[in-house]
Amino acid sequence: MTVKRGPGVQPTSPAGSIRVRRGGFGDPLLRHAVQLLSLAALGAVVLMLVDTAIRASDLLKHQSLWSFVSGTQWQPSNTLYGALPFIYGTAVTSITALVFAVPLALGAALLINEYLPRRIAGSLAYAIDLLAAIPSVVYGFWGVVALVPFLTVIQKAVAQSPVGALPIFAGPVAGPSYFAAGIILSIMILPIVTAVARDAMSATPRLQREAALALGATRGETIRHVVLPFARGGIFAGIILGLSRAIGETIAVLFVIGNQPQINASIFSPGYTLPSVVASEFAEANQPFHSEALVALGIVLFVLSFGVNLGARLVVQRFEQRAGGADVR
Amino acid sequence: MSAEFHLRPSGAMRHARDRLILGLCVIAGLVAVLPLAAVLFFLVVEGAKAWTPAFLVTPPGPLTLPGGGAAHAILGTLEMTGLALLISVPVGTAVALYVVEYRAGKLALVVRTAVDLMAGIPSIVIGLFIYALLVLTMGHFSGLAGAVALSLIMLPIIARTSEEMFKIVPRRLREATMALAMPRWRAIASVYVPTVAAGLMTGIVLAVSRAVGETAPLLFTSLGSNFIQPDITQPMSALPLYMFQNALNIGFPAARQRAWAAALTLVVIVLLFNIVGRWLATRASLPAARN
Amino acid sequence: MTALQTDVRVHIATRGEETAAAPGQARHVDGTASGGAAMEVRHLSAWYGAKLAVSDVTFQARQRAITAIIGPSGSGKSTVLRALNRMLEVVPTARITGDVTFHGMDIYARGVDPASVRRSIGMVFQQPNPFPTMSIYDNVAAAPRFNGIVKGRAATDELVEQALRRAALWDEVKDVLGRSGASLSGGQQQRLCIARALAVNPDVILMDEPCSALDPIATLQIEELARELSERYAIVIVTHNMQQAARASDHTIFMSMNEERAGYVVEIGPTSEMFTNPRNKLTEDYITGRFG
Repeated sequence: MTVKRGPGVQPTSPAGSIRVRRGGFGDPLLRHAVQLLSLAALGAVVLMLVDTAIRASDLLKHQSLWSFVSGTQWQPSNTLYGALPFIYGTAVTSITALVFAVPLALGAALLINEYLPRRIAGSLAYAIDLLAAIPSVVYGFWGVVALVPFLTVIQKAVAQSPVGALPIFAGPVAGPSYFAAGIILSIMILPIVTAVARDAMSATPRLQREAALALGATRGETIRHVVLPFARGGIFAGIILGLSRAIGETIAVLFVIGNQPQINASIFSPGYTLPSVVASEFAEANQPFHSEALVALGIVLFVLSFGVNLGARLVVQRFEQRAGGADVR
Repeated sequence: MSAEFHLRPSGAMRHARDRLILGLCVIAGLVAVLPLAAVLFFLVVEGAKAWTPAFLVTPPGPLTLPGGGAAHAILGTLEMTGLALLISVPVGTAVALYVVEYRAGKLALVVRTAVDLMAGIPSIVIGLFIYALLVLTMGHFSGLAGAVALSLIMLPIIARTSEEMFKIVPRRLREATMALAMPRWRAIASVYVPTVAAGLMTGIVLAVSRAVGETAPLLFTSLGSNFIQPDITQPMSALPLYMFQNALNIGFPAARQRAWAAALTLVVIVLLFNIVGRWLATRASLPAARN
Repeated sequence: MTALQTDVRVHIATRGEETAAAPGQARHVDGTASGGAAMEVRHLSAWYGAKLAVSDVTFQARQRAITAIIGPSGSGKSTVLRALNRMLEVVPTARITGDVTFHGMDIYARGVDPASVRRSIGMVFQQPNPFPTMSIYDNVAAAPRFNGIVKGRAATDELVEQALRRAALWDEVKDVLGRSGASLSGGQQQRLCIARALAVNPDVILMDEPCSALDPIATLQIEELARELSERYAIVIVTHNMQQAARASDHTIFMSMNEERAGYVVEIGPTSEMFTNPRNKLTEDYITGRFG
């Protein structure tokens, strides 16, 4: 091998030296920039929260916190501001969404993870994921034009059947309703619940699965006795994430819920939710304390979804610990 | 003697139960894709009737009359999403670097948790926050406020994907940079970022695909506008906002037509970004797997 | 060798400790004759967390010679090697005591920048780890560029060629310098990593089982290369391949461990002597393949 001596590489000096040249100012610069931007993000969040809370607190000059949260009347023209119809509507639509989305998501997740050949499973998973990409305003519009007319038929049929005697399924049926909003929401949260459930299921250790199969368990039994118990925590986390999405969804719900600030036992009756009332009334809030009350509804919504998210994080953490650090996000 | 050794069948009952589980799963899978099919079907059928290329470049007209396009909305979406990117990409990347590369202890954890929780804030609430913070301060609605609201939607997505990406930079590449005495900023800029570039792009593209479709955070920030308004300090329309206004007025056939045309345009854009993002994501795992 | 440091100080190596030396603290030491010690390790002990991994290791690595560290896995060979250029502190829980000097300079002294240590003491890893997003050329040129070793296209070209020639890779890659480093074969990648290390202009090269991921032919090429490089660099190579140590080294350090004892040095000596006439029974058992 020929070795060329050039000015670039000096051959080993008789004795080396630890060159004390540093990396220059690049490292501290980047470190400080990164820190500054991160803290700016944190500061912005805190600032927004405080600013918004202060603005909403003006409402307290008008009424007490309790009368706001527990009030059942919302009549801006009479300066009556009660949040309960919206809290109720948010709860009813979100629960309806879960009732439909969770079984579908679990079934789809099992089908994708456990039964289908890889190729088809991938396409199905992709299709369900794409549901999450469609903007909520498109869902809302599609809901009004296509879904509500279809659901009206079903709602009428149920209300007129014997189960219609139950207050929650009672008529009259108008079309837009808690139920319609719940169905739209269930479609919108289906992808997140499915994805998280799939992650949790696929984290099942192969050894456990094989152990069950080697004992002569059928595939269904393996799912029931090994996969589902193992994935329970992750599935629960997925459900809570879905719940938090459902609580905060605004535009799609606004189109199909009927926008009536009332509390009604029947899921077939029109109602309102926290985010949808803020969206539809805020721009035209001109009564005294009306916009403050709407901002306060926003705060209630924030607290609600924050609590649910925090709960989801705790569940995921507990699950991660139990699963010995398996990543279930 | 052969009677003592035989394969024991599962039994009719177990078999039936297995079939039942499979059957339920198949039904769930079919029902789960039904909405996508239905939405896309309506979009294509109705959208095709209403959409023309001119829709993209025509300025808006009166709400109740036929004609009128989405030129102003597309301009607004471009400007606001662009500005939102300029805010959320540096901040999101900074948060990820702060957490992964400069393990700055408790404070980094607080920042990360805050950004994580930001992802859980309903987008309408983000709109309210920015309304209180910017619109009231400036005294009027503006595209700027809309862009800031969108950047808050994008930030957690970008921060989270970037964090995951910097975490998967292989240990041996890290060691190589250290053994070569690269300063950390050099290692980040010329080794880590190129190595996970596809993954970082995935986060950005998915964040854009999310922000482009958002209506709620723009309602009280950029408000909407009925002219071509390039000035970002003024109220500004965006594609989802424009669609929202038209869709609320489907009593007017012209508004209904425009809502379909806008819906088709919006979904094509969003799905395009989404599909590109996912394609990048599958590529993103390659360099990590190779090394 | 000057300035023997007899005191054993305790240095806590923590992750991310990147303290810098003040410019005035650069210490230049006069050269020694060929074969003098390039590095000296005295009473080195290392822990991972509370677990002692290496206890009281003392040896020298001579200039223009190959020093092999052999021993069964778990005997702390790689730990010792990583302590030589402060790569050990990259491991979060690692901690050492003892002295490591480079031409008499304590590399763990307060104020010494670990980066400056690693510039003088290069390292080649077990798995070839070229930067996958960089071309072959940039893999070699990246570090010298920002270290200020070269400026300008022509000088960089020359440096890259020289480093690649020294790593015996030039003839194979001179026409494909723009291709990705990941496109090369395993053996070529490892030689690229050697070239990359050489381009920073180190005085010592540490090799951590550099052939364990390579096929026999590539292994022989690397050994031959190490032999050539030892004409100008001090090389310390960790290997669990006895033949490799016997073939390719001038001095051998045999480390071992057992239930009672963390990694320790069993025997040190010229390779020819140790392999033909081991003084220690354990060494004899190991090199004749009775354990390890």
